Amino acid sequence: MTTATPAQEGAGGIGSRTGIPTSSNRRRRLGRSSRNRAMVVRYQDDLRIFPSLPARVGLAALALFWAFGSQGLSSFWLNALTYAAIAAIAAIGLNLLTGYTGQVSLGHAFFLAVGAYATAHFGAEVGWSIFLWLPVAGVIGGVVGAIIGPFALRLRGNYLVIVTLGMLFLGEHIFKNWTDVTGGGNGISVAGALPTLDTSKFDFLGQRWDRNQGWFWLSWALVAVAALLAKNIVRTRPGRAMQAIRDRDLAAEVIGVSLTRYKIAAFAVSSAFAAVAGALYGSFQGFVQPSDFGLVLSIQYVAMIVIGGVGTIFGGILGAVVVGTLPFVIQELSSNYDLPLVSGDKGGLNGYIEIASLNKMLYGLLIVLFLIFEPHGLAAVWFRVKAWFRTWPFSY
Amino acid sequence: MTALLALSLLAAACSSDKKTTTSSSSSGQGNSSGGGALATTAGFDGTTIKLGVITPQTGPVKLIGDPLTNGNRVWFDYVNKELGGIAGKYKVELEVVDSAYDATKGVQQYNAIKGDVVMFAQILGTPVVNAVLSQLKRDGLAGQPATLDSLWVREPNLVPIGTPYQIQAINSMSWYLGEPGNKDKKVCTAIQDDPYGKAGQSGIDFAAKEMGFTVATTAKFGATDTSFTAQVSQLKTAGCEVIFLVATPTTTGGLLGAAAAGGYAPQWIGQSPTFIGILTKSPLVDYLEKNYVVASEGVTWGDESVPGMKDLVARQKKYAADQAPDYYFVFGYNEARAVTQVLEKAVALGDLSHDGILKAITSLDKLTFDGLTGDYGYGPVTDRNPPRVNTIFKVDRNAPGGLAVLKAGIESDAAKKFTFAG
Repeated sequence: MTTATPAQEGAGGIGSRTGIPTSSNRRRRLGRSSRNRAMVVRYQDDLRIFPSLPARVGLAALALFWAFGSQGLSSFWLNALTYAAIAAIAAIGLNLLTGYTGQVSLGHAFFLAVGAYATAHFGAEVGWSIFLWLPVAGVIGGVVGAIIGPFALRLRGNYLVIVTLGMLFLGEHIFKNWTDVTGGGNGISVAGALPTLDTSKFDFLGQRWDRNQGWFWLSWALVAVAALLAKNIVRTRPGRAMQAIRDRDLAAEVIGVSLTRYKIAAFAVSSAFAAVAGALYGSFQGFVQPSDFGLVLSIQYVAMIVIGGVGTIFGGILGAVVVGTLPFVIQELSSNYDLPLVSGDKGGLNGYIEIASLNKMLYGLLIVLFLIFEPHGLAAVWFRVKAWFRTWPFSY
Repeated sequence: MTALLALSLLAAACSSDKKTTTSSSSSGQGNSSGGGALATTAGFDGTTIKLGVITPQTGPVKLIGDPLTNGNRVWFDYVNKELGGIAGKYKVELEVVDSAYDATKGVQQYNAIKGDVVMFAQILGTPVVNAVLSQLKRDGLAGQPATLDSLWVREPNLVPIGTPYQIQAINSMSWYLGEPGNKDKKVCTAIQDDPYGKAGQSGIDFAAKEMGFTVATTAKFGATDTSFTAQVSQLKTAGCEVIFLVATPTTTGGLLGAAAAGGYAPQWIGQSPTFIGILTKSPLVDYLEKNYVVASEGVTWGDESVPGMKDLVARQKKYAADQAPDYYFVFGYNEARAVTQVLEKAVALGDLSHDGILKAITSLDKLTFDGLTGDYGYGPVTDRNPPRVNTIFKVDRNAPGGLAVLKAGIESDAAKKFTFAG
């Protein structure tokens, strides 16, 4: 077992090779030592999942909101937050690959598609239960990811990005033409995969719920499971191996990290997360078509981890909530207020930008702004606020 | 974990009264407000009936969506303001969402509002309806497809109106090949590569078998394509003399523009959604007047001999004065009329719930439109009988809406033979 302190990210930084900044090169750039975590003095502290009492209280509050508070949300926001939860699972996966292992991928949408089509087939067509199709989608995604993984052994940085991009287009071709399974360009119904989760049909001691409530509970529970899994990976031996590869793969190999094993494993695990998210996306939405899983979706996921925070589990979730709910916020705003230049649903003839185009522009803009001003994402802002309070009133 | 579970059970029991308000608006079962009034249910609060509209408000097919939704609005404005609402007392409110003519986006919007509406007054586009349909079935909701595909005829959850695309295609060919000197013309098709394109193509294939012609070639293009040189050269090389076109107005403009630029002038026969009035304001208008006709139904805009048209023009002037004469407006107006007939029936049966609407649809005898489009036989889904009459319009830049009747009342033998699957 390597003895490097995982709290400190290595000296090399993937920024030099991939363009995605890490705390280490950011630290250098800003010329001050702003660590994102409280000082860890014992190895045991570093292994703890819930490091402090406030964190535990915060998580408990979130769990309470998940269970009860969410019942006060409208159908519209439950729907938006369910999409965000599904995105969060995939974003956690991409963060394992890009944030922790340093392998930048634009092919994440492809693995979501694999999961969604696996569900369309095994869930809706064959009629398996969710306890079967969800893990099976994950396994299929993982296997496909492991097949792509070896490319990362020979290619780095931009070249790997191009390969994953190619995979995206290859996938689109397959999805458009393998009509038996995917329904081709017309898309396919996944509505049969999980028809029973309509909570408006439940009646528990006179208690009734919104029809999206069940999906909200399921998806966010799975986010918790995914986050726990990912946290367990990164805090233990494989996680440190992944981070060593990210910081300098040659150095990692010299100290005994198997590049073959961990690069392929990172791809497999990340793809499995994406496929599980894709499976949920398909069955929640009830319909998928090849054009859903294009380059824009992949870029959205990159946006999520950049905005949320590269190299933190928490950041992926945060980014997914921001990017995932952004279209809904804009839709809600434009239907209630006449946003300047945006064509909303108030007749919308005087607008210049369509909501969909505006969203894409915002993703791009947010990526640029975060990379310039807050390269470690919202997670870093959060950690800084926390640090300020912890050291108050002597926060200098 | 167990503590959390116990907590959640406890609180679920405690908070049972708090939740009834939200659930009544989102669940199918409502509580009666008493006094013999209609029970409140999803999308109906006792006074206002909420209807969903899934339509492209952005993207190229917005050209169709906007006038069509305007047609919905004008009819319901008339019902609300002059008739006092459905059954004289229940006002109608539209919840309009944007599909951008994208199947997935349509499904997302459907999911977002399905709990808040009594039914859908408009779902525009064959690909969108195709995607939403399985959900409608799962959720037990009804919707009005703003598309004429014959696939919808036997769907209990849909309330189609108008002569289906397949019949349009069959009637078009029977008209064209029946004109003097056209018997041996080489027939081709140019279709959008999706379920909408397939609808027209299947009509032509049926006509080919019935009337004994062959389709020389089929050119395909995407709904949002902008370059059509490959398709034009494919059709030109095959020596096509008459081409049945299944497109939306933007792609019609692109494809015919490319043909005109290449000096290629066959006879184009467009399915009804290929045309839009604004094309007569484009430089393409000369080419269109010479080489293009469109298969649709009904009469010229403003033809006062038809009572339905007279009312329509009067109401359009009253409630949507800046709406230009437009056939999609007429379609939207007609679908709102159909939905109104369904709702009236449901009120008469005393049930506006999703189940009640489905029951009302099967209890209807027929849907009528005062001559704007043919009567549509309803009843049990296997007895549904769509109209099979079409009108061929030619482009005329001086006519209102840009179209003038070339040949009305086409109801070919082949069209009568066509059976609707399901």
